[in-house]
Amino acid sequence: MRIACQLLVSLMLIVMSSPVQAQRNKQKVNEEDFLTEAPVVGDTLPDVSVYSPNGTAFKTSDLRGHYTVLTFGCLT
Amino acid sequence: MWNVSGLEAVHRDYKSKGVKFFFIYKALAHPELAGDYVQPFTQEERLAHARQAEKQLGATIPWIVDAMDNRLKHALGNRPNSEFLIDPEGRIVRKRAWSHPAEVRKDLEELVGPVERITREEDVKLNIEPPLKAPAARGAVPRLQRPRTVAIVMEPKSEERGLPFFAKLRAEATDELVSNGAGKLYLGFHLDPFHNAHWNNLTRPLSFKLDVPEGAKFEQTSGVAPKVQAISDTDPREFLLDVKAWPKDQPLRLTVNYAACVGEETCHQVKQEYVLHRRRDPDAGAARGEGAGFWDRDEFAKQQLAGDRDKDGKLSRAEVRGLVLPHFDAFDTNKDGLLEFEELKAVSDWLNHHHQPGAMRTDSTTNPPIGLKVRP
Repeated sequence: MRIACQLLVSLMLIVMSSPVQAQRNKQKVNEEDFLTEAPVVGDTLPDVSVYSPNGTAFKTSDLRGHYTVLTFGCLT
Repeated sequence: MWNVSGLEAVHRDYKSKGVKFFFIYKALAHPELAGDYVQPFTQEERLAHARQAEKQLGATIPWIVDAMDNRLKHALGNRPNSEFLIDPEGRIVRKRAWSHPAEVRKDLEELVGPVERITREEDVKLNIEPPLKAPAARGAVPRLQRPRTVAIVMEPKSEERGLPFFAKLRAEATDELVSNGAGKLYLGFHLDPFHNAHWNNLTRPLSFKLDVPEGAKFEQTSGVAPKVQAISDTDPREFLLDVKAWPKDQPLRLTVNYAACVGEETCHQVKQEYVLHRRRDPDAGAARGEGAGFWDRDEFAKQQLAGDRDKDGKLSRAEVRGLVLPHFDAFDTNKDGLLEFEELKAVSDWLNHHHQPGAMRTDSTTNPPIGLKVRP
């Protein structure tokens, strides 16, 4: 019985540590991490100074009075 | 890469309802790809990137440009293509790791209300301009194939009223070098397309010199780029150094000399300095493209299929994520609502050869050049 249990545990460890499983866990953790990392839903948008493309500085706290969608991106 | 057309469609429907959309221009996710772009060194250069992105992506959504210390990226979780919805009081009401226009639309329908007529993504015609063109040919100098390396922290020493960094250093190190102080150091001097410069091959080739600090041991402390027959070209000048010992607390000073011309007439003899640190730069992105490594087709498809929760060997829309998600329909060539192995390989082809955010092309079936390996 004890040997059977040990075998089962070893088998589970092998399955859990397979590359595919590892990748899946990583992706899941990655996404869940992001949602639980600060700032979380309900927090105020951090107030930092940024620029418009012509170089005018403004603060992210100026983005008030309307709904705002912010999407990160770049040229690559 | 993200779905610019999709977001543009939602923007068109909701701007009249008072919703404001912004793209945030951050450090490059994949330098050297999609127009041979390299990380900007100055705020002014990053602003120029954002103005180019306005033209190259062709969206009417305005841009916000992050400061050079990447403060907004750091404050919001450090993801390349994350998305946030902010309410009128400035509170975050939604966040997601990857931009997803269809979800944004759902959010806005719930928070602001539905629109009468929905703009479809396929009806959005973006006014796309091509990436910046190099002012001279490439291909004169064979690219150095880097081993698995990560970008390390380097500070360009700019001088007031000094010349711009026409050529920008990309410094990368193998894991062993970063963690143990012994390994390979990649030094690549890449011409920045925003300065429109080409190498002047009629004079001495680019050369560099390292001031090796106490306790450090380098096999090579200087280097000269190969002499090129063509009068000018824009290929990067690259070096791979063998480092026997580099103490972690000892920054490395690098001096580079090169001749660069802007147009036919204006040529400069340039001497510039950098300080290199033996630590990973988490904001420098992962270089991709020739030399830096393409996505391997099979490996890419296998990685994506790791998300196949119901084990049918195909990815449904709910199982797909990240890079692939915004273009699900375009890559689902047999229109069965699922992405299979071959279709996923086509995604990697597209990433390797046409990686340009917003510009959708699936007509490529070319393989990445043989011998190039995927990088993490």
